Amino acid sequence: MIERWLLALATALAAIAAINAWRSLTSGQRSKATLPILAITCLLQLMTLGVRGEMVGACPLSEPGEILVYTAWSAVLCYLIVGPTYRVSLLGLFTAPLVVILQLLALIPGLMSLNPPRVETTTGWGESHAALSVLAFGALALSAVSGSMYLILDHMLKNKKFSSDLFKNLPSISLLIESIKRLSLVGVIVLTGGIIAGFLAPNFDLNKHIWIAGFVWLAYTVFILWSHLRGMPPYFLAWISVILFCLSFAAFGII
Amino acid sequence: MKVLCLGLNHETASVELREKLAIPSTKLGEEAQALVSKTKAPEGVVISTCNRTEFYLATSDTSSGRRSLEHYLLERFGLNLNEHYYQKDSREAAFHLCRVVSGLDSMVLGETEIFGQVKKGYAAALEAGVTGGVLNKLFQRAFSIGKKVRNSTGIQEGQTSVGSVAVDLAEKIFGQLKDCQVMVIGAGEMARTTAQSLLSRGAHSIFVTNRSFDKAQILAEEMNGVAVKFDAWEEALQKVDIVISSTGAPHAIIKPEHITKVRRKRRYRPLLMVDIAVPRDIESAVGNIDEVYLYDVDGLQELAADARQRRSEQIRKCEEIITSALDESNLIGV
Repeated sequence: MIERWLLALATALAAIAAINAWRSLTSGQRSKATLPILAITCLLQLMTLGVRGEMVGACPLSEPGEILVYTAWSAVLCYLIVGPTYRVSLLGLFTAPLVVILQLLALIPGLMSLNPPRVETTTGWGESHAALSVLAFGALALSAVSGSMYLILDHMLKNKKFSSDLFKNLPSISLLIESIKRLSLVGVIVLTGGIIAGFLAPNFDLNKHIWIAGFVWLAYTVFILWSHLRGMPPYFLAWISVILFCLSFAAFGII
Repeated sequence: MKVLCLGLNHETASVELREKLAIPSTKLGEEAQALVSKTKAPEGVVISTCNRTEFYLATSDTSSGRRSLEHYLLERFGLNLNEHYYQKDSREAAFHLCRVVSGLDSMVLGETEIFGQVKKGYAAALEAGVTGGVLNKLFQRAFSIGKKVRNSTGIQEGQTSVGSVAVDLAEKIFGQLKDCQVMVIGAGEMARTTAQSLLSRGAHSIFVTNRSFDKAQILAEEMNGVAVKFDAWEEALQKVDIVISSTGAPHAIIKPEHITKVRRKRRYRPLLMVDIAVPRDIESAVGNIDEVYLYDVDGLQELAADARQRRSEQIRKCEEIITSALDESNLIGV
């Protein structure tokens, strides 16, 4: 039960981070609190996952709720790495609500059982496959967030809507394009590692899960190669990053 | 005891005159000491920046204080400044100081540098031991009012000229402009000033093209750029990130097909196009291309006018803050 409380606390903190980021945006002042709040959120998510890991005796990715929490943690982790480095601090404003949604879904009764069955046998490759695959989704989620930010800024620039606080605080178009490309690349590299680990797992079989992971990997790889080698209008780049993430997440959700 | 201020600034005196009165920041303390000893006033502060030199005194008699201050200036600088300086006393002097500290009296409205410069002048006088109960309280109060004005209003926001609006847009699209290349089509004055604004903010190279190649060469030379023959501008389009167009052509010279042709070669990089010609040089359909951000002179002027409107509202708001803060302060000599 403790993990649900930890998760509820992490969700509340993410909501505070979102409200704080929004308030500082509307007041026109830079928020210094979003990053530390999300850092504490990240810690609480880790504790949640740690408790779940102890309960199942394996990497906690066997139930939909666990996968949602893991993805939310991965998104926050990527934000903590990318946000300050690329000075895209506003990413926090968009990441925090995504985390709240994912974790609220995870808290829905039934998605994360109170007494999960212990995993009988675990293998290093199998665990790595699950962990890396979901970790990749964090980077891909953040790429989609950057894509959404690009689409909003592009709309404002094209329609000459320059007076809002959001416009003033969004990072530049070039920085957002760069973020989409880099985060997608990081996501695909980690996902590649996850898929390779899956192939190396002793109990590997070509199930529906592997096929979908393969399609997701292929779609992102084509997208990245295309945008790096041939170039792609940034408007499409942004839309594709959002659509691919939504589709792949939905596909795994269905499984 | 009354506060007296005498000074000149960019609005009342030319740069030639201002530079004669400019006092290096390292000498401000000495200057305040000299001011106090010559005028026989108990307290004095000197502020000197590139746009202003101001003398503040705390004196028991404003009219004799004013006379001795004028005499001091004549003796010290050998200048009769009657036409160029402004005098303010008591409440008016305090209000003026607060406006200065808040950046409301600056050439670039709301600039922040002035705050530090006034602080430096005051600190020098304080260190020289020529401030007391009147000016200490006044300056310290002015600094806190200045901070409040900056924190609670948007006085620095928005650009008020076409050139600076274009630069702001460029920064919103490209971030830092240091890797941006600019192409100027036409050699009009407005294009020149806009391009100069971009260069001053870091844009690193410039191409100039014009029907008259001689004019293009002159402008290119002036801006350390490269002149391009008018029939070769389409090729240059591949390299550039920002296009400023201001030819006198009676019809559009840049059409969607010109951009479509080079999109892949440009690898779909964002392209900012600023059309300041009337009639317009760039067909409005060009703005429908995904990575192109097109703005014409009306759009830019509208933005600049909006900012001016917002700023005048902000000035009023700032002055209200200053007035009410001074009302609450009960300062001596004000």
